[in-house]
Amino acid sequence: MKMIRAFIRPEKEQEVVLALEGAGFPSVTKMPVFGRGKQKGLQVGPVHYDELPKTLLMIVVDDDDEKKVIDLIQAKAKTGFIGDGKIFVSPVDNAYTVRTGETGL
Amino acid sequence: MKEITAIIRRDKLPETKKALEELGYPSLTIQSVDGRGKQKGAMCAEMDSEMPESFCTSAKLKPTPSTYALEHTLPKVALYVPKRLLTIIVPDDVVTKLVKSMISVNRTGKHGDGKIFVSPIENALRVRTGEQNGEAIA
Repeated sequence: MKMIRAFIRPEKEQEVVLALEGAGFPSVTKMPVFGRGKQKGLQVGPVHYDELPKTLLMIVVDDDDEKKVIDLIQAKAKTGFIGDGKIFVSPVDNAYTVRTGETGL
Repeated sequence: MKEITAIIRRDKLPETKKALEELGYPSLTIQSVDGRGKQKGAMCAEMDSEMPESFCTSAKLKPTPSTYALEHTLPKVALYVPKRLLTIIVPDDVVTKLVKSMISVNRTGKHGDGKIFVSPIENALRVRTGEQNGEAIA
């Protein structure tokens, strides 16, 4: 299994989540985060924003679905401008459902 | 080393903390997150374990102003349930023990009890002393 962490624009979150739901991946955890990237924030006239608000989506999927989910997030979260976000993938050994105690997603 | 990421009900947090403390692993990171699972966040049982039934029906009938506004600009709105996300870094050999204990504490038998993920961690470093790996989390 893989854990996909996607840092996306907050306004794109609904679109991405609904697209994932449509593709059969309804389970998502989201949290608001603040961060900056290569551009060290954002300069608007005299005002410099060091940290910008983003939404972090956390999704755990089977290995086979990894590419599909990443492609979907990228397609929906893309605007073509700086600040679209990043996607990170990390391995997950095991998943447990608390209600049943079963392993697997 | 393994990272245990547990997404649990809000009201089960004190009990989970106590259970982990009793097993000798009191260190943890807590985050407030919103999540949805296979039921797509719509089920009332996903909220707190002791939620009265009347709250569920009234909450469903009366959407919050923000939800209402979103429903009129989007064809469909994704619903979320507030949850607590715990992150614990522990040695390999105690993972099963901790996961079992967390499952037994958090289980209510209703949808929304949460998920627990176990993933590998390559290195750990204690900032104060510079200790690495196992020593850093001991």
